[in-house]
Amino acid sequence: MAQAVQKLVAKVPSLIGAAVTYSKPRLATFWYYARVELVPPSPAEIPKAIEGASNLIKGFQTGRLGQTTVKDALRNGLVATEVLMWFYIGECIGKGGIIGYDV
Amino acid sequence: MAPPVAVSPLIKTARWSALLLGVFYGKQRFEYLKPIAEEERKVEEAEKKAKEEQERIYKQLSEANSDTILK
Repeated sequence: MAQAVQKLVAKVPSLIGAAVTYSKPRLATFWYYARVELVPPSPAEIPKAIEGASNLIKGFQTGRLGQTTVKDALRNGLVATEVLMWFYIGECIGKGGIIGYDV
Repeated sequence: MAPPVAVSPLIKTARWSALLLGVFYGKQRFEYLKPIAEEERKVEEAEKKAKEEQERIYKQLSEANSDTILK
């Protein structure tokens, strides 16, 4: 038992090294995309966001939204779902746990 | 690799504001639920103690009342 534990402990540095070599290129790809796509909006972009939201509302009022194709509607639905999921991730961060409240 | 897409600012603001709102909501709800759980735990503790007292008394009584020669 002690020998098995010792062998495992001796293997840990090589395991960590393997994990690092595995994850480095994937992390690089993730960072490559995240640096452009996932950054928070700069203060200059917020008026454009408000403009986009008012465009949406105007499109809804003129009925232009009724003319979106099903493909576009599905894509927008997926994007909206992703935005909603960020709310739940925020809730997980706020409550300090993944499943349930740790009261 | 495909070049990264320029995400519309509306989506970016919506994402990050949803994240912030979620953090606040989670924190608020946690603070709301915490005292309620404390109360519930206290009540349960008190009830458990009362029940144990009852059981102890019952056992003592039943032991005193049982007629056996194996005493």
